[in-house]
Amino acid sequence: MKALILDGSREGDSLTPVAVLGTTSALAERVETVALFKLRDLAIAPCAGCFGCWTRTPGECVIEDDARDVLRSYVGSDIVTYVTPVTFGGYSFQLKKLLDRIILSVLDPRFTTVGGEVHHLLRYRRYPRTIGLGTLPSPDPEAERLFARLVARNGLNIHQTVESIVLVGVADPESARRSAEKLLDRAGVPA
Amino acid sequence: MNALILTGSPKGRKSASFSLASRLAEGLRENDVSAREEPVHAGLRTEEGTRRMLDAVDGSDLVVLVFPLYVDSLPAPLTRLLELVAERRTRVSSPGIPRLAAIVQCGFPESRQCDTAVGICRLFAERTGMRWAGSLAMGMGGSIGEDIRRLPGGGKNILDALKMAAESLAMGGAIPVEATTLFSRPLMPLWLYTLIGNLGWRMQLRKNKSRRPLTYRPYSQG
Repeated sequence: MKALILDGSREGDSLTPVAVLGTTSALAERVETVALFKLRDLAIAPCAGCFGCWTRTPGECVIEDDARDVLRSYVGSDIVTYVTPVTFGGYSFQLKKLLDRIILSVLDPRFTTVGGEVHHLLRYRRYPRTIGLGTLPSPDPEAERLFARLVARNGLNIHQTVESIVLVGVADPESARRSAEKLLDRAGVPA
Repeated sequence: MNALILTGSPKGRKSASFSLASRLAEGLRENDVSAREEPVHAGLRTEEGTRRMLDAVDGSDLVVLVFPLYVDSLPAPLTRLLELVAERRTRVSSPGIPRLAAIVQCGFPESRQCDTAVGICRLFAERTGMRWAGSLAMGMGGSIGEDIRRLPGGGKNILDALKMAAESLAMGGAIPVEATTLFSRPLMPLWLYTLIGNLGWRMQLRKNKSRRPLTYRPYSQG
């Protein structure tokens, strides 16, 4: 099995890198390979909103930058983990920029119904199991609820039920690893 | 009263968000509000543009975010702007208390798919010491185009909702529930919207003379 970690940490963020370490360690015990993309070190332009990934070069964004390498890795993975500072209940800019660029590419634009509402058809036959891991410096139940809802809604886009967790003030990799282990168990990733 | 309308679509003046933002700005001006419109994507491309937007937020009594739903939340550059505004407001000793409202449109038929994005905007307002002034959210945003008046029925529900929102915001109030309800009404039957959408993608593909089929899998392990 192959796992992919999308590191959405911000400059000066001390908690998300710890969560990345813990997640890498937890995944390494369960899968053969773990690929890690530290998104803020990559050259990724924001989505231009042109729908070219559906109507010009279906399955691929028209912008040629590092997002293509991440997309290739995403499609070839069995598990993908979003690790991000929880930003008002959402993702960091770095993670959001990447997701805006790749999620439409892996979908077929035509509509279908999922969970009682309209979504898009799937482009590929199989998708990596998605897991969301957020970090917060202090408890914020509302942000945590919103984050869980966002991750779950993102799962609907790829017709999945998705698990997530928020690490509050976790500053040591061992605690982060234990939390990531629990999350992987909940997501049904075999030990 | 100074209002700042931040448009979060990368398509600028050709976007549905720009159409909605322009109509809201007109409504605010008709109610004696000084309304300024700023495209976020373009502004963030330069340091000067970024500083200008942050200064504009500081100097506003009302900030309205108008954007398309991207992957269940805000487009990334708008997220970046929120991060920057939050950072600046923690550094300033006594930042003002502007009101913040949001107008969201999504390409899915159901307006409720915008709820998470609205929640993020509301939480941003609360955590940065702004006052939440409500939201308008609609589905079927794919049909708006550059001119709301070309919609079936002349886009009456949308235009009426924007007018009601502008009047209330100009008086210092929040977006009324009646406006939110009106704005969220479907523009056409669901079956018609999905039919037009499904045909539309194929027509676009043909128009663009794409060499790939709509279902192409460039990284085809699956």
